[in-house]
Amino acid sequence: MMLRAYLKAVATAVCASAFALLSPASASADPVKDIQATARVLTFLENDLGARVVIGVVFDPARSESVAEKNAIIAAIGDGYSVGRLTVVGKPMEAGAIHGVKVIFVTHGVDFAAVGAETRAKRIIVVGSDFACVRSGACAIGIATDPTVQIVVNRNALAAAGAALKAAFRMMIHEI
Amino acid sequence: MKRHLLSAAAVVGLVMGAADPVCAQSIDYGSLEQLFNEPVTTSATGSPQRVTETPADMTIITQEDIRRSGAKDLPTILSRVPGVDVLNWSAGHTDVSVRGYDQIYSPRLLVLIDGRQVYLDDYGYTAWGNLPVTLAEIRQIEVVRGPNSALFGFNAVGGVINIITRNPRYDDTNSLEMHGGTQSDRGGSAVGTLHFGDRASMRVSVGADRQKEWENDLNAFASWNAHSMADLAVQLSPKTELRLQGSLAGSRSEDMVPSSNYVPARYKTSSIMATLTSETPYGELQARTYLNSLDDRDASPIGLFHFKNQVAVASLQDLFKIGTRNTARLAVEYRNNRENTTPEAGGHVSYDLVGASAMWSFAASNRLSLTLAGRLDHLMLKRSGTIPPGFLYASNALWDRTTDTFSANAGIVYEVSDRDTLRATYGRGIQSPTLDEYGGLQLVLSPGPYGPRLGGNPFLRPSVISNYQLSYDRVFESLDAKASLKAFVQHTDDVKGLWDFAHPLVGSSPPYSFEAVFANASRSTMGGFELSASGKVQGGFHWSADTTYTHIKDTPLSGENLIGRQVAFGRTSPRFRGNVAAGWADRRWAVDGFVHYVSAYGAYNAAGALERSPAYATLAARAGYTLSPGLTLAVSGQNLGHGRQVQGLESGLKAERRVLVSLSKTW
Repeated sequence: MMLRAYLKAVATAVCASAFALLSPASASADPVKDIQATARVLTFLENDLGARVVIGVVFDPARSESVAEKNAIIAAIGDGYSVGRLTVVGKPMEAGAIHGVKVIFVTHGVDFAAVGAETRAKRIIVVGSDFACVRSGACAIGIATDPTVQIVVNRNALAAAGAALKAAFRMMIHEI
Repeated sequence: MKRHLLSAAAVVGLVMGAADPVCAQSIDYGSLEQLFNEPVTTSATGSPQRVTETPADMTIITQEDIRRSGAKDLPTILSRVPGVDVLNWSAGHTDVSVRGYDQIYSPRLLVLIDGRQVYLDDYGYTAWGNLPVTLAEIRQIEVVRGPNSALFGFNAVGGVINIITRNPRYDDTNSLEMHGGTQSDRGGSAVGTLHFGDRASMRVSVGADRQKEWENDLNAFASWNAHSMADLAVQLSPKTELRLQGSLAGSRSEDMVPSSNYVPARYKTSSIMATLTSETPYGELQARTYLNSLDDRDASPIGLFHFKNQVAVASLQDLFKIGTRNTARLAVEYRNNRENTTPEAGGHVSYDLVGASAMWSFAASNRLSLTLAGRLDHLMLKRSGTIPPGFLYASNALWDRTTDTFSANAGIVYEVSDRDTLRATYGRGIQSPTLDEYGGLQLVLSPGPYGPRLGGNPFLRPSVISNYQLSYDRVFESLDAKASLKAFVQHTDDVKGLWDFAHPLVGSSPPYSFEAVFANASRSTMGGFELSASGKVQGGFHWSADTTYTHIKDTPLSGENLIGRQVAFGRTSPRFRGNVAAGWADRRWAVDGFVHYVSAYGAYNAAGALERSPAYATLAARAGYTLSPGLTLAVSGQNLGHGRQVQGLESGLKAERRVLVSLSKTW
């Protein structure tokens, strides 16, 4: 009798889980978490970027979502965001005027193909949260943190930027 | 929320130290965990993975879980993991298994500290009170359910527990802790991390604990343990790291031995291990060697059993990525395991083992991955020295035998969506006979040519365990929760059974002595399911609940008796067990409660009969208050619901209510 009650309780829990499964889940990007993850990923590069890295936050002033994302990122970084001995500083810049940085973060809405063409010769590591940018080769590293952290790396694009990731870290991410 | 995140992350970054962008070969668990927001492990395949992506059924217990558990020993912490069974025989002796099959000196669980085996290879069990590790220096405990012999080798059949300590290169761990409470319980520990320039760091720990034995009429007064460990990490070059670890441990406990008698046992263990890791154009190469020594004295009424066991292991592995989708691991291992015979001395039983393994993991897409692993082991058994008169296996040549075994693991992980993951796994594990079973245990029960003997069996076959499992994991974002449903079937061939004087070997010519030996006694099938869920609620609350059901059916081999050989696991294993936990924390306070439930089960008494132990539920709790940064005062209790409770053998010692007060400082 006890076993019957136990199995009934378990079946109820399973049904509740199945009902929850039918509920559509919502997804949303979180630029603050994305830039924090970007800073952490930089610590897993083989390259020595130095103790202080300026990340160019590339935005399109004609697109409100891009501007909003840029503002959120710059505010989140503030005077500097530290991960261990590495401190990243944010510098907003428009596409077409990317210069003086080793790493850029591309916000949503920016023409990433154009950014890719602009940065290729300058050997800048391009990071974004739009995986289409990574698939196209314009971005070397794609980072999304919502709902879970996903990191996709375009090996050719990263190599073209003169960068490489540590071996143990490469085994934990998706490479294309 | 954003400011809190940034502040917390910055503090963690300062505390954890740098992940130097130029160097670092060993895994920086802390940085990876911060990045992926979940624990990271190598215990599933040998390559670093996020715990949600492993092709294995794994639970990771974090240091935060350990701190808030209120427990001062590992079995209590493990008892709250879904599917884990514990048998508490006395204050200092607990046996642990996964999904049934628990028994005295449980041999189905492989226990490691930083990849070094710490289960005792003479009989294949773990003396939990003798482990040379302090709770404060543990980064995480990885619990793998099911066979994982393809990665870890023998005895990884019911599961694997890999205790990962803090790496002194990345983790600045310093702590002092002392505790005292009921049953005259008192103890403490200290952990310190030293840095020698930029290239070398060392962590040192010491710990000791003493507690009165549970109420008994055995003249057993107390169990105690003392241990120390040193862990040195040296960066030899930007891509090469050497890690040296040494440990010493001593303990005394009132052990329940396989004949179901209580025997005072004293353990002394020591170890030394060296691991060299280097990133090369051929992948990450790792060479490891370690030596374990055991001195175990059991003062039983029928004689002093003095086991001296040495295990020497050397291994080499290469972990590399091929292209963008394939990760591979190749490894070879040599092992020598040696033991004296006891209590009848004069002989040594040993084996040399050579093993080769391979693992291949293929990421078909960013949502689908396949992992295959296999391992071949060649074991060469040997015996030297004298054989006392009257033993029926009377020639050392009978031990000149070899055994070849194959173990395998396979897993498919499919992320149906960002929130749903399906996992299908298969494992084939090997449980090798132990040196005691092969002949290290050599006992004359009564002198004279006709007196019964108890001895080893060089013809014992390894047990083969096959495990099939399907699991589904779901994240409920809106509830900040997750749930998991698993179904599994496990089959064991050639289950090893205890000696049985009702089925002895009998000499064919005078003197007609008879001898009981270990034997393969049955085959067994286990099926079941597990349901678990956990989550957080705004305001600092968290909760978890799980239940695991198992049903075991045993079939004796021809001429064997399940009770006589003590392999009636269907009758000794509980059908279901579960846990409910809840806790709350703010800046100063952390309060947690735990309920663990076990259904009725069986255990053998000293007469060899099967006793029924009643179902039970235990209540534990902890309340901690942060007096100042790093300084915590805590009160915790175990078995709070009952003054004395059967958690092992009905006619054995009973677990007692226990309350502890502890003061700890970390910096």
